[in-house]
Amino acid sequence: MASVAAAREAALAPPPLLQASGIEKTFGSTRALAGADLALAAGEVHGLLGANGAGKSTLSRVISGHVRRDRGELLWRGASFDPSGPREAIAAGIGMVMQETSLAPDLSVLENIFLPDLARPGRLSRGNWRMRAEEILETLGQTASLPLAVEVRRLSAAQRQLVEIAKALAVEAALIIFDEPTASLSPGEVERLFDVMARLRAGGRGLVFVSHRLEEVLAITDRVTVMREGRTVARALPTARLSQADIVRLMVGQELGRIHQPRAAVGATAPVLAVRGLSAPPMVRDVSFTLHRGEILGLGGLVGAGRSETLETLFGLRAKAAGDIHLHGRPFAARHPAQAIRAGIAFVPEDRRGQSIIPDFSVRENLLLGHLSAHRGFGLGTRAREARMKALLARLDLPAERLRDANMLDFSGGMQQKIILARWLLLEPRVLLLDEPTKGVDIGTRAAIYEMLREAADAGTAILVVSSDFEELLGLCSRILVISDGTTIADMASAVLDEAKLTLFAAPRSSMAATTRLLGDLAAETGGAAFWALRDGGRLFCLARAGGADPGADPGADPGFTTGATPLFGETRIATALAHPPGQSLGRFIAEPDGGRHSLLVPVRSHRGHDFGVIGVCVARPPLPDADAIARRVADLVTRQM
Amino acid sequence: MLGLALVVFVTLSAASPFFLQTNNLLNLLDQSVVTGIVSAGMSFVILTGGIDLSVGSVLGVTSVLMGLAMPHAGILGGVCVAIAAGAGIGLFSGVLVARFGLASFVVTLGVMAIGRSLAYIFSGQNSISDLPPGFNDLVYTPILGIPSNVATLLVLYVLAWLYLTFTKGGRTIYAIGSNREAARAAGLNVLLYSIMPYVVSGALAAVAGVLLSAQILSIDPLAGTALELDAIAAVVIGGASLAGGRGSIIGTLIGVLIMVMIRNGLNLLGVSPFWQGSAIGGIIIAAVLAERLVSARTGGH
Repeated sequence: MASVAAAREAALAPPPLLQASGIEKTFGSTRALAGADLALAAGEVHGLLGANGAGKSTLSRVISGHVRRDRGELLWRGASFDPSGPREAIAAGIGMVMQETSLAPDLSVLENIFLPDLARPGRLSRGNWRMRAEEILETLGQTASLPLAVEVRRLSAAQRQLVEIAKALAVEAALIIFDEPTASLSPGEVERLFDVMARLRAGGRGLVFVSHRLEEVLAITDRVTVMREGRTVARALPTARLSQADIVRLMVGQELGRIHQPRAAVGATAPVLAVRGLSAPPMVRDVSFTLHRGEILGLGGLVGAGRSETLETLFGLRAKAAGDIHLHGRPFAARHPAQAIRAGIAFVPEDRRGQSIIPDFSVRENLLLGHLSAHRGFGLGTRAREARMKALLARLDLPAERLRDANMLDFSGGMQQKIILARWLLLEPRVLLLDEPTKGVDIGTRAAIYEMLREAADAGTAILVVSSDFEELLGLCSRILVISDGTTIADMASAVLDEAKLTLFAAPRSSMAATTRLLGDLAAETGGAAFWALRDGGRLFCLARAGGADPGADPGADPGFTTGATPLFGETRIATALAHPPGQSLGRFIAEPDGGRHSLLVPVRSHRGHDFGVIGVCVARPPLPDADAIARRVADLVTRQM
Repeated sequence: MLGLALVVFVTLSAASPFFLQTNNLLNLLDQSVVTGIVSAGMSFVILTGGIDLSVGSVLGVTSVLMGLAMPHAGILGGVCVAIAAGAGIGLFSGVLVARFGLASFVVTLGVMAIGRSLAYIFSGQNSISDLPPGFNDLVYTPILGIPSNVATLLVLYVLAWLYLTFTKGGRTIYAIGSNREAARAAGLNVLLYSIMPYVVSGALAAVAGVLLSAQILSIDPLAGTALELDAIAAVVIGGASLAGGRGSIIGTLIGVLIMVMIRNGLNLLGVSPFWQGSAIGGIIIAAVLAERLVSARTGGH
């Protein structure tokens, strides 16, 4: 019976546009793919999921011709397909929208869209280009959002992505692979991207959506394929039948809870590192925080928010323009890394190959590189570190004889990262800065890295971790600092947060310009305060606020919280309004029982049904503004901007 | 590469009855001194991923300065002037390359032209031959039975090897050539150790000039012309990567010996000197090709 049902399902399923089976790929001694399968049809959005290092990106790059497979079969429209480079894949109709965009920043939008045309014989016709570009933007429903004559480097991340999509359409791609397309987009921009993807699907194209953000996967994909450690572990499951928990189980193969153990908050001790108003233009504008002994503090935000640059400034790799840094209570400013290292600061950068590994050095010499820089003598002075090095090596699961191995690049990404981490732990730093410490690292090594970090923290090291993986931040850190457009906007206990809230906090302030403008307008017109917030479990999460506490404003209208605050309703000055059941509190002003402050809450909901919290207005006393007019303006903002 | 040296050595021994004679072997080492000392400095620069085209001119101009200073300052004073001038010129190139980020090829190309032009101007286009006769002792006084110029060469190579292998500065030079960004992010003193190799190279070019002048008791403003090419060739034949980070000072010494042996052997065999360029050039290309094939097989970067 089962086989009959399977046969019927197979007959009903549309013929595959692309079929990859048993794909294998080895880089050096790293096995990136060990039997990866993927089959997708025209007219579907197919999710390709997996944890960091599962092989999603490598498989995408095999299909798009950037990487050549070692073994396995690739069928494109039923025929065997073996692209020797991206050019051949593009010619066959396979386009890819890359994680880090592959655009030429100094060329115009139009030139970038038709860049592949330069590889064709014959004359170029700009007039023709312009016409076709306008057609393409029309099909995407984005005519207004992309000026064709502007140079690409002036565009936002979301606009650049749109250029990439237009570029794929210009070569009439039938299959477009989106590799982590939402990594640097705000929630509003993500919605717009999903609209574009839905249009492409309706136009009969096949789309691959590579991501590890499960909510987005559930929202946009029709079917999903899940990879783990280079292998496909679930093929083309219909998304409608899956829950987030199912997907996580498939991705990880074990319960994530086992490797994530949120840390308890540390007691109120004097901070090891206190940063106030740090700026290093253009990426770091106004960063403030404190970091305590034994604490693991998370620095969350989108790619490009200034997270890495903040760490680099603290470590002396970037010049500081303004702001105060206090280390152990004394003013401190590292002009170059050697100063930071001697003061007890260590830094594990994001790009292992580019910023950490010395490829011509043995493992041992790589491990001792931090020591070499901290050491003041003329010789190498390694004897003093031997004992601690031995202890650390035992933690790495690295056989002692491999210390002499000439090429570190032959090790797996996870082992490389552990060695780099050990390079700094060897120095017993008092402050440890880490940038994406588990990028490209398998799940087993991740657990080992977390363990090493927890042990270091327990021994008194103060740790600051940057990560795009919000689940990692929530599972590892006791407190999370959110940075957006180079400014720290919130400092919250991770116990009260979840991934969805963190994602909204991390949205770029620039993409919220219309929202902040509306809040400012509302505050000015009503003479009160206006705010944008989420409500969950009796707690308020304030994403932005205007008015009230500003100089010259009416103090009577102060709702009792500011941007980035996460108070319980009872801790605010508008507890009654916030606690009202949704049906009653929305749409009219609610007065607080003490007679002061009347508040209005208007829900913010996108046309795809995504909940973006509420926009609230709080005034000190009647006359009350027109609630319906405010609700209309919020609705208008949602249709135009979110 | 050591294998290549042995092959050349055995072939030449078999081909020419004169090659293995003690006189000829001493002659080989004697001929290696100038190129060898310059190549040691060149190794420092190439290990950081740079190149120093100015060594030949630096040898010329520092020798001329020494010749002018010697009548007033004595032998030792003249030598010190030459070495200080060489180091100073290296400092100038090094600062332009490391501090201002100019391409080492271009900076040292400029210094090469300036150096040669100054050598002509300072010397008035003439050879300087009124040197104190005692100057000649710098070359031929035996130390432990070895002529002092060969002893100098060997001592300098031992010191360079010890420095590059066992000191913080030496390892920093390798790290900079292998991955400058990583060296910076690890807190190594990238600026200092990017400048220092040019200083070493300039100073060693001057030392080579001193020994050359002492040997022939005459200073020609043309001295050292095209020496940079021999030095680069020796370093490359010795297995170093022009991208930096890979190579050894021992390899460079073997590279120098291979070149000198081939020159010497072809002379003994009565081959026209015009063929020597082809032989050396062929070996350079073969050495680089071999290095590339080996690193491709071991999955290098």
